[in-house]
Amino acid sequence: MSATGTVDAPSDTQDRRKAPPAGRPRAGPTWRQALRRDWQLYSLAVLPLLFFAIFRYLPMIGNVIAFRKFEPGGSVLGEEWAGLRYVQMFLSDPTFWRVFTNTLVLGGLTLLFCFPMPIVLALLINEVRMRRFKRFVQSVSYLPHFLSMVVVAGLIMEMLSVDGPVNQIVRAVGGDAVAFMQEPGWFRTIYVSSEMWQTVGWGTILYLAALTTIDDQLYEAARMDGAGRWRQTWHVTLPGIRPTAVTLLILNIGAFMAVGFEKVLLLYNPLTYPTADVISTYLYRMGVVSNNFSYAAAIGLLEALIGLVLVLTANLISRRSVGTSLW
Amino acid sequence: MVTVDRTRGYRLFQGLNAVILTGVVIVTLYPVINIIARSLSDENAIRSGSVNLIPRGFTFQTYQYVASDPTFWINYRNTVVYTVVATLIAIILTTCYAYVLSKPKLKGRKALIWVAVFTMFFSGGLIPNYILISSLGLKDSIWAIVLPNAISVFNLLVMKAFFEGLPAELEEAAAIDGMNTYGILLRIVLPLSKAVLAAMVLFYAVAFWNSWFSAFLYMTQSDLFPVTVYLRNLIAGATSATSVGADATNMTVAANIKSVTIVLTLLPIVLIYPFVQRFFVSGVTLGAVKG
Amino acid sequence: MYQMNRRTALITIGTALALAGCGTDEPEKKGDDLSAKRDGAMANFAVGTQFAATAPVSFSLLYNNHSFYPIKNDWLFWSELTKRTNTTLVPSVVPLSDYESKRSLMIGAGDAPLIIPKTYPGQETSFVASGAILPVSDYLDLMPNFKDKVAKWNLGPDLDTLRQSDGRFYLLPGLHEGYWVEYSLAMRTDILEELGLEIPTTWDELHTVLKAMKAKYPDQYPMSDRWGVPTPGGALLRVLGSQFGAPGGWAYQNATWDPKAQKFAFTGAMEQYKQALTYLHTLVAEKLLDPESFTQPDDMAIQKLASGKSFVISTNAQTLVNEYRPPLAEANPRAKLVKIPVPIGPMGPIKPDPKTRLENGIMISKKALDSKNFVAMMQFIDWLWYSDAGQAFAKWGIDGVTTTKDGSGKYKPASDVDFIGLNPGAPKHLQKDFGFSNGVFAYGGSTELLQSTFSEEEVAFQKTMNARTALPVEPPHPLTDAEREQATLWETPLKDHVTQNTLKFILGNRDLGEWDAYVKELEAQNSKAYIDMVNAAYERYKKQHG
Repeated sequence: MSATGTVDAPSDTQDRRKAPPAGRPRAGPTWRQALRRDWQLYSLAVLPLLFFAIFRYLPMIGNVIAFRKFEPGGSVLGEEWAGLRYVQMFLSDPTFWRVFTNTLVLGGLTLLFCFPMPIVLALLINEVRMRRFKRFVQSVSYLPHFLSMVVVAGLIMEMLSVDGPVNQIVRAVGGDAVAFMQEPGWFRTIYVSSEMWQTVGWGTILYLAALTTIDDQLYEAARMDGAGRWRQTWHVTLPGIRPTAVTLLILNIGAFMAVGFEKVLLLYNPLTYPTADVISTYLYRMGVVSNNFSYAAAIGLLEALIGLVLVLTANLISRRSVGTSLW
Repeated sequence: MVTVDRTRGYRLFQGLNAVILTGVVIVTLYPVINIIARSLSDENAIRSGSVNLIPRGFTFQTYQYVASDPTFWINYRNTVVYTVVATLIAIILTTCYAYVLSKPKLKGRKALIWVAVFTMFFSGGLIPNYILISSLGLKDSIWAIVLPNAISVFNLLVMKAFFEGLPAELEEAAAIDGMNTYGILLRIVLPLSKAVLAAMVLFYAVAFWNSWFSAFLYMTQSDLFPVTVYLRNLIAGATSATSVGADATNMTVAANIKSVTIVLTLLPIVLIYPFVQRFFVSGVTLGAVKG
Repeated sequence: MYQMNRRTALITIGTALALAGCGTDEPEKKGDDLSAKRDGAMANFAVGTQFAATAPVSFSLLYNNHSFYPIKNDWLFWSELTKRTNTTLVPSVVPLSDYESKRSLMIGAGDAPLIIPKTYPGQETSFVASGAILPVSDYLDLMPNFKDKVAKWNLGPDLDTLRQSDGRFYLLPGLHEGYWVEYSLAMRTDILEELGLEIPTTWDELHTVLKAMKAKYPDQYPMSDRWGVPTPGGALLRVLGSQFGAPGGWAYQNATWDPKAQKFAFTGAMEQYKQALTYLHTLVAEKLLDPESFTQPDDMAIQKLASGKSFVISTNAQTLVNEYRPPLAEANPRAKLVKIPVPIGPMGPIKPDPKTRLENGIMISKKALDSKNFVAMMQFIDWLWYSDAGQAFAKWGIDGVTTTKDGSGKYKPASDVDFIGLNPGAPKHLQKDFGFSNGVFAYGGSTELLQSTFSEEEVAFQKTMNARTALPVEPPHPLTDAEREQATLWETPLKDHVTQNTLKFILGNRDLGEWDAYVKELEAQNSKAYIDMVNAAYERYKKQHG
């Protein structure tokens, strides 16, 4: 891994020092011209680049232990080459494939439900005419974001216990109480809906910020054209928040594999492993028992590769279809 | 001509909207009120499960008890200091880099973006990071918390997207007037970016406020801990079976103490929030030039 | 650049350590190179000697910060310790909740403090191969008190369970004189009286009692258990399983020693394990045991008990007094809750798990060997953790200040000091305000010292339990480095599969008639290969080390 990591960062600085040959087919300034013209801009990037080099790229060298045998307390770079041993290990591990599938499903469902909801809520809040009420709703909807995961998990279990409020409602409408936390079939629903509870309000912040930047004149013009509320929303509001939405969508797709570790850990139990166990929790159990850092590094690399491919694809699609791109 | 605002459909929508949002408020508030009620209740009342929305066996003693622990206040002060310093540095670095990345004609821009995006997916493991921080001599100092997390790529890209949405005309005009890049960033761009800056401050501040992992990794003295580590120790208890099962001195911390600590940790963010929020709602009069 | 240098240095050190750890089978070269490491050490340190360094020394310590008594730098414990031993401890504070991750991280990064306490037997194995920790068994000659207690209490076989494939052990465990049975069931005796029943002595009698309770209170589950998260049936399966001959729950290990067959068997596939599950399944099927017992958070189980919705729950001495009785008394002043002796199972009156008299203990960083004060450090550890005086000091503090010792040698907290409810309402607390009875320093020791903190009912409980027979200690079966890497990859999925099906069988989600199919599934996940490996390791060790 270190290969990609180190090649990527210095290649940029190298390019900058070596001015490309003048007779380049592509139009645009040479590096010398660019540096002379934009040196002030480049100077702003120095500190951040330093940050990335030291705190992000340097530690990546340690990923080499995915291919070397690491002994806790031994060398950081592992003791001896193990080749693809650890990769083969997880590819032939049936549990790995189960947790892999679970990660994909949970990640996919979260994306499907938790990405659009903040937009809807932001639009609803934006339509409120009573300023006080608006402020109140906003403030309240951010609260869950501040609660510790441990607290949230405790609340979920209370709500869903056999004597809990949800089951009281189920009984009231004549149903039989469900042991929600013990049914593998319910886990995904519980995970996704509580995820919505936690994130939707907080997610509106960026959209509300974007909404404030939409020019009132555009609404004015739309009204002149006789557009109703719905059409104003459709033709002015939504296009106004599109860059934000697309950026967030691409980022969310990239973070797809990073299903909330702590949350699953706190909510699952052996009965729900078939649907709830994800890569990170499986690694945790492997890790606590065995300190098998090499195995973890190998799986971590795979996770990273998948994330990278996903984000590249999403970005490509978005650039082709709506013209917005991360880079 | 009747303005659209007064149609019956719209009024119906407003009513419905209010109902939906009230529903959102109730669902969201319930657990929070529950915690506050617990924090004001008697321990045994919590244990017997009778505390819901109203405190039972009302008592302020738990607050007094937590507040009388000097470690709590030392850690609390640490959190405030860490959060302020870290947020400040993070905002400066993120703004600089995001601004650079937002210049479409800048040569090497793509590579610069990649430098950042790549780190979203690939990272060093725990041990290399730990060795880095300790060999830089940052252990047991505020910099171990501030520096390694100074740029969140997510926030960076959000900010970059925002800068790209700003009208280019103002900056071009300023440049023609002879203003340099730093001047343009400080005097033209930033004043237009209050909304996103406010969002960033909030994002970073909340993240730093709630973070515990860096502190847990790099701090070895309890008077350097932020309050989250204090809180986590209270709430999480032992994580592994062996430590739950066989600790001779295994005693759990009372549920009401946990609630009080949660409430006290939540409080500042909830109190500060309305002031930051003002920027989103009314701060920006960007409309005039938006293209 | 500095960074790279440091890395190179680390690699060099790593290689050196690896080389050093290679010549394993050579007899220990004790003493030969220790002469340069005696700074501060006492010349004639022996049993009964008060350790005091001849020059001030200080040692780093990984400190497990308990949330109930968070560390304070002004504890009397620290200052008095320095006064008595001329030694200062420099703690690296780690929250209890994440102690194990930080420990493995610090050892992994080569940055661990010299003294690493609160390590449970078995947890040290993954650090052995890299040579990061000290094979303490080579240096026991520096520890007279430790050796004395091992000999006096006949703990040799127990210590053997810690030996690694090189025949040494790497952990200084806490040593108990007697077996200490912590966990059992708590039961509402007022309900028993109401029904005219006696306290059950066997699991079958417990079944009968639960049925009688159910008959009287048909709308509720008479038993609703706690300690289900994160290990389902953590305490219950441990207690019940060991009485059936196959400990589960917290004590679950894939391999269990079968003394009759003189072999290890795969626990989750043992007939005894099946019997234990069958028993619990019957309780659930007859609605005597709350099915949520295995997944609900502890607070919920306590709520059910306190509100009178259940009458039986797992307990230890502390939770009984601290967590169950107060809310129960508030809700129902006439309720009486008692910790009953562990019911007897098919194995007859045996002591339940723990299998050994070893406690969690101390690992020592290999770096300590480079210190001039190495010998002094070993003497210090020996005094504080293993001498009678050190143990009494760590537990009770100073006579006349934090404790009073009466004529018969019985300890009591001083009148203004509160400890485990002995002086409720006293202004100061032995643990919180003075730092004594701290889990990092105070554990193990003589039965008398252990029981000095027990209430009368707990002493009676221990007496009953100690009258029962102890099972033989299981023999050592250390795996080689390569075997262990393979074993860890098998162990987690196997354990997961057992846990998951344990729950299914108990709750009736899977019929016990499918047991054979389940055992086949385990075999498909290499349970046989695993047990063969363990048994081979056992035979190998027996041959090599007698």
